[in-house]
Amino acid sequence: MASQNLDPAAASSTAALKGNETAGSASKGSVTKRLQQELMTLMMSGDKGISAFPESDNLFKWIGTIDGAQGTVYEGLRYKLSLEFPSGYPYNAPRVKFITSCFHPNVDENGFICLDILKEKWSALYDVRSILLSIQSLLGEPNNDSPMNSAAAELWENQEAFKAHLHATYKN
Amino acid sequence: MNENSEDLMPQGLPEAWDTVTAALVSPAPVTDECVSDALNLLCVKGLGQYLEGWLLETLQVSLASNIAPDFWAGLQQPEVDSQERDRARTLLESFRTLIQRLQPFLCGLERLGTWQDESRAGLHGPGAHGLRERAFSIIRAILLFSQPPVLHQRVLEFYSRTFSVYMSQTGEQIESDDVVTDSDFCTGCATAPHDCWCQDALEQLQEFSHILSRLQLLERVSSEAVTNILHRLIEQRMEQRCRGEYERSFLSDFNDWLDQILGWLRRVFASEVSNLPADGKTDYAGSTILQRWRCHMQQFFCRIYVNMRIEELFSIIRDFPESTPAVEDLKFCLERTNQRQQLLTSLKSAFETRLLHPGVHTADIITVYISAIKALRELDPSMVILQVACQPIRKYLRTREDTVRQIVASLTGDTDGCSELANELSRADPVTLETQDSEDEGSDPEEWTPDPTDALTDKTGSKQRSSDIISLLVSIFGSKEIFIDEYKTVLADRLLQQLNYNTAREIRNVELLKLRFGESHMNFCEVMLKDVADSRRINTNIHEEEARLPEEQQTPVPLSAMILSSEFWPKLKEEKLELPAAVSKSMEAYTHRFEKLKAMRTLSWKPHLGSVTLDVELEDRTLTNLSVSPIHAAIILHFQDKSTWALEELSGVLGVPQELLRRKLALWQQHGVLQEESPGRYSVLENATSRERPDRGIMLIDSDEEGDSNTTTQSEQREEKLQLFWAYIQAMLTNLESMTLERIHTMLRMFVASGPGVTEMDVNELQAFLQKKVRDQQLIISAGVYRLPKTTQ
Repeated sequence: MASQNLDPAAASSTAALKGNETAGSASKGSVTKRLQQELMTLMMSGDKGISAFPESDNLFKWIGTIDGAQGTVYEGLRYKLSLEFPSGYPYNAPRVKFITSCFHPNVDENGFICLDILKEKWSALYDVRSILLSIQSLLGEPNNDSPMNSAAAELWENQEAFKAHLHATYKN
Repeated sequence: MNENSEDLMPQGLPEAWDTVTAALVSPAPVTDECVSDALNLLCVKGLGQYLEGWLLETLQVSLASNIAPDFWAGLQQPEVDSQERDRARTLLESFRTLIQRLQPFLCGLERLGTWQDESRAGLHGPGAHGLRERAFSIIRAILLFSQPPVLHQRVLEFYSRTFSVYMSQTGEQIESDDVVTDSDFCTGCATAPHDCWCQDALEQLQEFSHILSRLQLLERVSSEAVTNILHRLIEQRMEQRCRGEYERSFLSDFNDWLDQILGWLRRVFASEVSNLPADGKTDYAGSTILQRWRCHMQQFFCRIYVNMRIEELFSIIRDFPESTPAVEDLKFCLERTNQRQQLLTSLKSAFETRLLHPGVHTADIITVYISAIKALRELDPSMVILQVACQPIRKYLRTREDTVRQIVASLTGDTDGCSELANELSRADPVTLETQDSEDEGSDPEEWTPDPTDALTDKTGSKQRSSDIISLLVSIFGSKEIFIDEYKTVLADRLLQQLNYNTAREIRNVELLKLRFGESHMNFCEVMLKDVADSRRINTNIHEEEARLPEEQQTPVPLSAMILSSEFWPKLKEEKLELPAAVSKSMEAYTHRFEKLKAMRTLSWKPHLGSVTLDVELEDRTLTNLSVSPIHAAIILHFQDKSTWALEELSGVLGVPQELLRRKLALWQQHGVLQEESPGRYSVLENATSRERPDRGIMLIDSDEEGDSNTTTQSEQREEKLQLFWAYIQAMLTNLESMTLERIHTMLRMFVASGPGVTEMDVNELQAFLQKKVRDQQLIISAGVYRLPKTTQ
């Protein structure tokens, strides 16, 4: 019975503290709270095709899942991502990369993503949900001007060939 | 005696033997000298020691071959058609004969014993006392080795009769079934007065007891019969007097009765004629026997009483506190018998069969539980019985959905049935619920007593065994938060239903609950009450301001608002409703004034909640002072401008689903204001007389099944909670692939943000929920890990 009466917020925040000892202590409470809130929003929003959840008891490390949008070459493929939140979140952007290897003009072989809102255009108004939605739309609309994977960028013009290559190399 | 030494046998030895043995068994006294001489001779020759053996042998032989068979035959004799009175006489006669025929041997033994005691002629042996003991054990052995049932029957009959005679003489009537209390018959011997043999019977009893005691057969022959009679009587008496009767104590009554019975027992066990209680004192041996019997009867009474009360315990509990005397008696008796376990088992199963099934109202279960707490804490101050026996009730109550609501309702005195909790709440010295922290028990360690052996060996220990009714009820669910939440809901309902700002009673309840649950927990309730008080003030303020305005600027619909601080009130029901423009305008005006009054704050209206008082004016009639819900009012307001509406049209204007709207329209149809002229088209009935109202009888009923409460119900909340949990579970399984039950549980506990009602979900509940999802094929379980089915990807 005692364990049931624990305040889950308190429990998770202590867990989070343990997992991220380098984080600035002053903001930790509020970061935890914010992440908790974001998780709640994400759960309640019920978006199809995007999802994320803390990987373990560490609230600062999440696993995300994106389904390729309908009508794009990525339709039917599912990608896993990792999201790491710095202690300065939401003022600093989270580190987001693909876990599942992704053949895409703006994703390199290590899964790093070239997306403006994760870098210089980051704002504290973005949240996990908007990041995931942005990445989902990035899949269908790559920015071929600054490719990280030039092979993919070149192939992009030929959607049929791209799709064939994509599906041949896709490994879940 | 010895074949080989026949030649050497001294002169006169056989004669001497004959003389002595004849003297021993002859009833007449023999001259001392010749016996002495013969005895001397025998002893000199060393034959004296055989006398003893011979005498006992003779006794045994004649007992076995003659006396005993004759005795039994005599007892059997008047087998058919004999009168009870004759049978009694035969019984006595048989024993008289028996003692007569045994007399010679007994005398002989006495004589030999005396010689031995005196060591006459060097004779030695066990002495008179020892010989007598041996003789009696031979008699007992042979006579009673295989006793035909007839003896037992006769003795039983005889004792029963003398008992009733005795009791009738000492003024107590035996209320047995076979004795007709007809004045024509003697109450003692149940015969016509002219051949009453009561006196005879008592005399016979006296003689009978005397003979038996001389033969040392008293205990052997009588005990069984007496035990039998007493047990039967006690049971009978208990059955007649105590069963179903809980409001009187029977202990002292029984003790008086016991004393009377002892008078009879004294006669049965009177060992000597002179020891009859006529002189007011009994001999020592008699009184120890009686003492033993008294204890035995008391013990027996207790056992029978406890047995009966155990059977009836459920009813006793139900009738508590009227049944207090029965509980006290039972407590007294239970301490003397070893039947706690039996009581527990029986009470538990009584609860299960009579109380804990779907046919019983939750309120009734709670009422019985409260009675059980009260009764059992009287019965067993250590509270162990209470704790163990009520375990099933608590477990069961946990499964009923309305338990909390019922308890809270009766705490606040809302229900008419059970006001006990309300009384309990307002008791002078409430025990706070913080029992865990009471390190200093305040009691002397010397006064510590161990728990009874049947206590539950759980971690709680004895100090947790509370007897406070409210604590016990609250602890059913393990935490008081759930009660406080429920109380909040109840309070919100009450405040919102009254709409008259009258909070005196609620303030009192909140204060009382604060004493129990602590100030901090009742914080929300305080805010709610304050909201009501503030609303009243703000309302007055705004109304005054409005009244100062010129006529044409005043709002068309006067409003009174209940202004709630949204953070502190339970969730209100959400429903969409577009109010008519006039009302919305009034609301806007009200909001405007409120914003002026309270800077930085605004109002967010709940248009579907509240109540509207209106008059309906039709051509030929007026309905005044109708009090209806806002949606009803909105409907009829629309008919003011346009007398005929199609259902879908009206539904569009109001923003209410058609189905709901149809139900709401029924109210106005019932009032005879609207009619459904064709399916889906409603119009105003301006003239009541213009048309009969044929459908009055079969009128649709505005089923306000959801209308009573303004706040979301527990089950709705629960559904919502489960939905939320499911979203989390889906998300975690999508991202983390597969998880064990424990992991899911831990994750939920960590990441589901706390809110009222959200945190309570134990592993079992979760497992059941997941099982259900597995059955619905929304989830897959294999090797103890859960995952989502592929198809949902």
